[in-house]
Amino acid sequence: MNLVDIVFYFFAVIIVASAAVVVLSKNIMYSAFSLLFTFFGVAGIYVLLNADFIAVTQLMIYIGGILVLIIFGVMLTTKITGLEMKTGITGKAQYAIGGLSTLVLGGTLIYVFNSTSWFKSPSVPTTSTVEAIGASLLTNYLLPFEAASVLLLLAMIGAALIARRK
Amino acid sequence: MNPEQLKILGSSFLGDLLKSVNLFYPETALVVTFLLAILVDLFTRNRPSCKMSGYVSLIGFFVTAIFLCNSPQGMSFAGTYAVDAFSIFFKWIVLITSFVIIVFSFFSKELFGEERQMGEYYTLIVGMTFGMFLLSGATNLILIYLAIETMSMSSYILAGYTKEIKRASEASLKYVIYGATSSGIMIYGISLLFGLTGSLNLSGINAYLAGNNVNHITLLISGIMIIAGIGYKISAVPFHFWTPDVYEGAPVTITAYLSVASKAAGFAILIRLLNSAFTIHAAGDTINTAWSVMKNVDWTMIIAVLSVLSMTLGNFVAVWQTNVKRLLAYSSIAHAGYILMGVAVMNYTGVSAIMIYLAIYMFMNLGAFFVVMIIANHIDSEDLEDYQGIGYRSPWLGVAMTIFMVSLTGLPPTAGFIGKLYVFTAVLNSGMYWLAVIGVLNSVVSLYYYVKVFRNMFLRGAEKANQPIELSLTVKVILIALIIPNIALGIWFGGLVNWANASAAMILK
Repeated sequence: MNLVDIVFYFFAVIIVASAAVVVLSKNIMYSAFSLLFTFFGVAGIYVLLNADFIAVTQLMIYIGGILVLIIFGVMLTTKITGLEMKTGITGKAQYAIGGLSTLVLGGTLIYVFNSTSWFKSPSVPTTSTVEAIGASLLTNYLLPFEAASVLLLLAMIGAALIARRK
Repeated sequence: MNPEQLKILGSSFLGDLLKSVNLFYPETALVVTFLLAILVDLFTRNRPSCKMSGYVSLIGFFVTAIFLCNSPQGMSFAGTYAVDAFSIFFKWIVLITSFVIIVFSFFSKELFGEERQMGEYYTLIVGMTFGMFLLSGATNLILIYLAIETMSMSSYILAGYTKEIKRASEASLKYVIYGATSSGIMIYGISLLFGLTGSLNLSGINAYLAGNNVNHITLLISGIMIIAGIGYKISAVPFHFWTPDVYEGAPVTITAYLSVASKAAGFAILIRLLNSAFTIHAAGDTINTAWSVMKNVDWTMIIAVLSVLSMTLGNFVAVWQTNVKRLLAYSSIAHAGYILMGVAVMNYTGVSAIMIYLAIYMFMNLGAFFVVMIIANHIDSEDLEDYQGIGYRSPWLGVAMTIFMVSLTGLPPTAGFIGKLYVFTAVLNSGMYWLAVIGVLNSVVSLYYYVKVFRNMFLRGAEKANQPIELSLTVKVILIALIIPNIALGIWFGGLVNWANASAAMILK
């Protein structure tokens, strides 16, 4: 096990453990805060993969934007901090079915990931990915880039519409 | 990347870009319409129920249609977007549907009843049309994903546009939750496919799969995940759970829109994905060559199973429905099943049969929903029970609904028969007799619930004949305009068939 592996597993453990808290915690505040560690761990993995731009984006958008919004949303909602989340009827049957399907799905994915010969791009030493990403966005991926702007405008109009009183 | 490299990249790209812009006029017209509709809405803000941005959208669609008529063909934007006969056919279906839906909206009491601000409604429809245009031609996985999201994002909001009505906001919320899940599954599938082949363009994926050994199971899983995302859009079983609730809760116009346009766009991308990415293409291939599937993954069987499930569940559950919108929702699931039969054939005969079917399905389904909307305007109900005696109260609505229902069943001499005929012929030609038999049996079941609608209109409630429903002249004109293609395409279908046959080909590289 070399250093990269150790760092990878360190981040992986952080991600999985905090994601489990997000799902299992009954207090929505705990869920929101442990989401912070999930996002942080994912950013760490990006750094490990030499994807510096995406790592920074992850920090700025997910932690700086989305997470803060979630926490604000939770805090501005009345009485939410102490609220017990209603989980409906979770009997033994549901746990059994849920657990079983998770195991099957997880097992299949682990098997697939280990047995597949993934595409490997020739490794080139990279200094910074920002320039390459920028060049791609304005050449090969110009249309998706522009289409995303229409998508965001639509989402904004929709959000305003939902928030409007009438 | 040093400045010299950037310069080379830029100059090689400029030529492609200039060529692409010529191919992109219809979509550009749509984006301009989209922005204009927002602007016009700002100036008419103080007048609720103003139809100004609606008219702007209609004019925009008209301009788009002119560009679409004269559209050249070719691959554009560095291989991410194909403008070919196939995508142009689907764009026509989407464009006509969007146009008709906006016209329908002008008559909707549900939408205009409450002095509602209607500007965003048209804006969102134009945005959704843009998304579906992109989807018909997208040949790049990222663009496919973004196009699906553009289309979904608008439809989530449109489904809940009458947000003070509880069932509409409930429908919208359900739609968002199912939609988010399915698009999550889809993008996971996309990432697996990218990891496997190292390419995002369908042609690149195809070339890699042809030249290299890849793991079958991974390919299968990623394919199924992507198909799950698309299956959600075309409301195929088992990805259909949202359909009945959303169709029932959304405004009728939007229900009609979802059931025709977004289904057509979903089929366009499903066919393109199967053909461009997962099929082996040889140099001498003609339009009549059967597709030979890559790496022996049995897509035919997967699609056929989805098709049988959709038809059977759709038809059998529809039998029990008492709400007409819900009934039509299950009927649209069943129709997705019939169309999937054409996909399962996996050759160009199947593709042209699907195109014929979708074009006809557009007219019959829009017609049925228009009648539902007009009846709801007058009696404030969508219950099958309340349809009793409508045939006497308004013979116009009764006769029109009967024609649309017969067409949806697929009986001659209506257009629906021609659609079914071509799909079944394609299935039989490919030798999948069992699938055709299931399809025919399902059509028989569907007869029962379609007949139930006009049985209630004519054979029950004759005593209500003294409460006539008066229709305005424009409504009658629209009804006639929708009835004509349903009858005419059942008799003179040669033109449509020729057009579909000529449009089945796709540009691959």
